[in-house]
Amino acid sequence: MTFGMQAEIEADASNALLQRAAGGDREAFSQLFRREAGRLLGVARRIVRRPELAEDVVQDAFVAAWRSAAQFDPARGNARAWLITIVRNRALNFLRDRARLDFHEPASLELLDERHGEAMHAFRLLPESDALKECLGRLDDQKREAILLCYVVGMSHAEAASKIKAPLGTVKAWVRRGMLALQECLS
Amino acid sequence: MIDERQRALAGDFVLGLLEAPELGAFEAEMAASPDLAALVTGLQGRFSALDLTAAADPIPEGLWDRVGAAIDGPSRKDSPALDRTSSRKPPRDSRAWLPLAASVVLALGVGFIAGRSSVGPAPAPVVVAVLLDEDATPGAIVEAFANNRVHIVPLENFEVPAGKILEVWTKPNETLGPVSLGRFSSAREIDFAPAALPVPQAGQLYEITLEDAPGSPTGRPTGPILVKGLARLPML
Repeated sequence: MTFGMQAEIEADASNALLQRAAGGDREAFSQLFRREAGRLLGVARRIVRRPELAEDVVQDAFVAAWRSAAQFDPARGNARAWLITIVRNRALNFLRDRARLDFHEPASLELLDERHGEAMHAFRLLPESDALKECLGRLDDQKREAILLCYVVGMSHAEAASKIKAPLGTVKAWVRRGMLALQECLS
Repeated sequence: MIDERQRALAGDFVLGLLEAPELGAFEAEMAASPDLAALVTGLQGRFSALDLTAAADPIPEGLWDRVGAAIDGPSRKDSPALDRTSSRKPPRDSRAWLPLAASVVLALGVGFIAGRSSVGPAPAPVVVAVLLDEDATPGAIVEAFANNRVHIVPLENFEVPAGKILEVWTKPNETLGPVSLGRFSSAREIDFAPAALPVPQAGQLYEITLEDAPGSPTGRPTGPILVKGLARLPML
């Protein structure tokens, strides 16, 4: 079985569980949690860094998912992507709130390096057959790098600019043009 | 038809780069355009391939129990609407604007307090809440003090039709439920001194509803919520 087929079967199973959860089936929701929570913790930790914060994010996300499960529409996307979106939103909000609090604390270079490494690693791990890998691969290195830094580890434009050592406006333009090219390539 | 501007915003949105007020405006645009919403969902689905490369962490013991307890327990910050006896206007999905609300509270609250404290040695509020409307636009600031005084500064001119009144609520805890702090008939700065209530806490909900004059007949909010927000501790 190929990686893609395996992933598709798993995604279908999660869809079915989430739809049962929407009908109030707690056992289905618990199964969905056991299937997805581990990876979602990994997704959250890439963004918020600390494991205990990632746990809070995932806990909140599942509570929100239970409450809004009825809004999930399998015709518009799979349950796994839906959960990922909820986790990412919460993790990013957390990060942005904290950034406002810690405004006087400069981001350490080591931390930026570590996050950069993690973002690039995620790209390398994408299966070759994945359309996103193909399309990201066609972008200029700088555009790809900026997009990965923002998406995978949740950097702001300013953090990405500081890591890439490019002016903020330039990085914003790379991200915008890169994302437009990606949409074109993926459609 | 989706134009280039919308595609550009969709890209920033999926990357998590949009912030208020563009974020709220774009969410409203998505809500109004199924095509745009579908574009964003599709893009999010594509990008989730990157998230799927994350190594799964071991699920800590007790995490599911915490989720279960939160689901069973009284709604906390995920469902901030007060217990309502009727609801003409259901609150929007709280996911969309609560985190934003918290950040706006933080951003505005601090400046507001800083501005005040420079004027004179006024007592510091215990908590401050910025109440937002459905579009996440700040509509009022609430400062609550240790002596029960509550100071309201409207930031928008609430329309109060004849026979209606503005009523301010808070929910000190689940046992007490929503408590009326006072009523006012037009948007102006006002102080309330309600009967003894527990000392306000961070995370406590405040909201303003539009009620039939002279005030909610049930002692609970019954009219539409105009603005609401969660209290934060001011950093002084």
